[in-house]
Amino acid sequence: MKLSAAEEASKAGGGLPFQIRGSLQTLLSLKILRPDDPAFFTGLVEKVAHAPDFFRNAPIVLDGGAVKAKSPDCLAEIVERLKEHRVVPVGLQNGSAAWNDAAVELGLAIFGAGGASVDDPTVAGRGAAAAKPAPTGRPGRVVREPVRGGQQVVAAEGDLVVMAPVSSGAEVAAAGHIHVYAPLRGRAFAGMNGDEQAMIFCEQLHAELLSIAGIHLVSEEIDPRLLGKRVRVTLVAERLKVEPLP
Amino acid sequence: MRFFDWFRLSRRRDDSADKARERLTVLVALDRQGGGGPDFLPLLQKELLEVIRKYVEIDQDKVNVDFQSGTGFSTLEVNVELPNRLLEARAS
Amino acid sequence: MSKVIVVTSGKGGVGKTTSAAAIGTALALRGKKTVIIDFDVGLRNLDLIMGCERRVVFDFINVINDGIRLNQALIKDKRVENLSILPTSQTRDKDALSQEGVEKVIDELRKEFDYIICDSPAGIEKGAYMALYHADEAIVVTNPEVSSVRDSDRILGILSSKSKRAEHGDAPVKTHLLLTRYDLDRVQRGEMLKLDDVLEILAIPVLGVIPQCGSVLQASNLGMPVVLDDKSKAGQAYKDAAARLLGEDIELRFVNPEKRGLVDWLFRRSA
Repeated sequence: MKLSAAEEASKAGGGLPFQIRGSLQTLLSLKILRPDDPAFFTGLVEKVAHAPDFFRNAPIVLDGGAVKAKSPDCLAEIVERLKEHRVVPVGLQNGSAAWNDAAVELGLAIFGAGGASVDDPTVAGRGAAAAKPAPTGRPGRVVREPVRGGQQVVAAEGDLVVMAPVSSGAEVAAAGHIHVYAPLRGRAFAGMNGDEQAMIFCEQLHAELLSIAGIHLVSEEIDPRLLGKRVRVTLVAERLKVEPLP
Repeated sequence: MRFFDWFRLSRRRDDSADKARERLTVLVALDRQGGGGPDFLPLLQKELLEVIRKYVEIDQDKVNVDFQSGTGFSTLEVNVELPNRLLEARAS
Repeated sequence: MSKVIVVTSGKGGVGKTTSAAAIGTALALRGKKTVIIDFDVGLRNLDLIMGCERRVVFDFINVINDGIRLNQALIKDKRVENLSILPTSQTRDKDALSQEGVEKVIDELRKEFDYIICDSPAGIEKGAYMALYHADEAIVVTNPEVSSVRDSDRILGILSSKSKRAEHGDAPVKTHLLLTRYDLDRVQRGEMLKLDDVLEILAIPVLGVIPQCGSVLQASNLGMPVVLDDKSKAGQAYKDAAARLLGEDIELRFVNPEKRGLVDWLFRRSA
């Protein structure tokens, strides 16, 4: 209510010297699984170093869903290490009260319980996906116009079907599967709420980035023999698998 | 081969670059006049030009507005250059 | 039924103003009442390309902000009937363009003209948004070169989301590709993207392909839209493009190597 009143006032010419609008962003999320693992930080740094351009100044949401029963002591160090590598932690999702308090203390925002991500503290890692209901197959969004550089198309629920090219510099994201019946030259994020069963299909693979449930593959990592081919991308054992379609 | 080069050159020679230089010299001089004086000068100059054009067809650069700010007073100098043919027409 | 057509590109220096001037003039030559508006506030150039720089008294910005009437600012072309130019200001900046002001001018022009050609500034800043906002159709000027193609793609995205038509949920802005500076020799030597490459990425219909041609520079030196040069290949290509804009079905020229006669062969040998 307040928002629309403010907008009306600003349209009238007087009004506020700013505008508040809702905006939808695709964010990376870092799921904390075993923070006490000695390889946690070395592994994290390695991952960031692998694609520095992708991570540079990128906002990231920390997901405490898998560790909320544990103590949030490690949070401060994770935040600090990420900042050292120019990744910007902006908030916490799926935290318990203790985790949320720790996050607020560190100046992080609290995100509402993120849709389909893991709720049960006892499940972590593989095998979890099979147990939870897949949010795919629900009616999603169909796009018939090309998705151009600088544009974002998001299907917050269900699948995304794009019947025109996705340009380099464009982003398509869906809670479920992503189908592109044309060249895919931009970035695709399937299973953006954590659905590990989500898949990406495209008619011609030239993607800059592929991601399923937050696990990603940058273009240099894609087998060059698959470039330009019709492919299916799946998440198998926490790695993206790109296979040609017959 | 030389024959063909000569043939092409003599046929295609044009002086469009000279024309371009001529046009730019006038224009850049006009643009530079804009700076220095009060904000209303360019508009004043334009409105004067508009009024004069109701009676005489003259180009933009024929109305010159100059602003000099002194210590006790400032002067506004307006210089209008009328085309020759007009004066001749009046004289006859 | 008047049409507002924006000539845009994202990237600078690809030939937007030359194209706006050429296509606007070609439409007027076909008997359509046409006005070309310069949206590049502070970097006025359309008047130079059209050769009316000495006739500018009032401009677009004076009409929006200073209570000057539109008819005082419109410059009627001396060579072509039905053609007018609305120059912009050389001294103000883009903030002088207000949404309501532009809208009022466009609405008034719609009453009088068949075609309103908006010559957009480069970039994706305010001036470019203002130029494309009211468009019914868009001519996306692109050079066969990677950065130009990418910027054109970006502009196409903005057209489909930020134009008035998009905001009001009307039929989308009709987009056309105008490929300029097309050098067939270099395309054949594999040094330059070919038309098909550009079409594959941008996926919009082609309005015209303008060959790389010295007559374009010569025309701008003289302040004459290149379509008024009957011998110019670029001029002919622009005339074809304007005819396609009017719905005529004309085959693309200058995209395939010409069959060379003996004289051409000799010239190539001697060059």
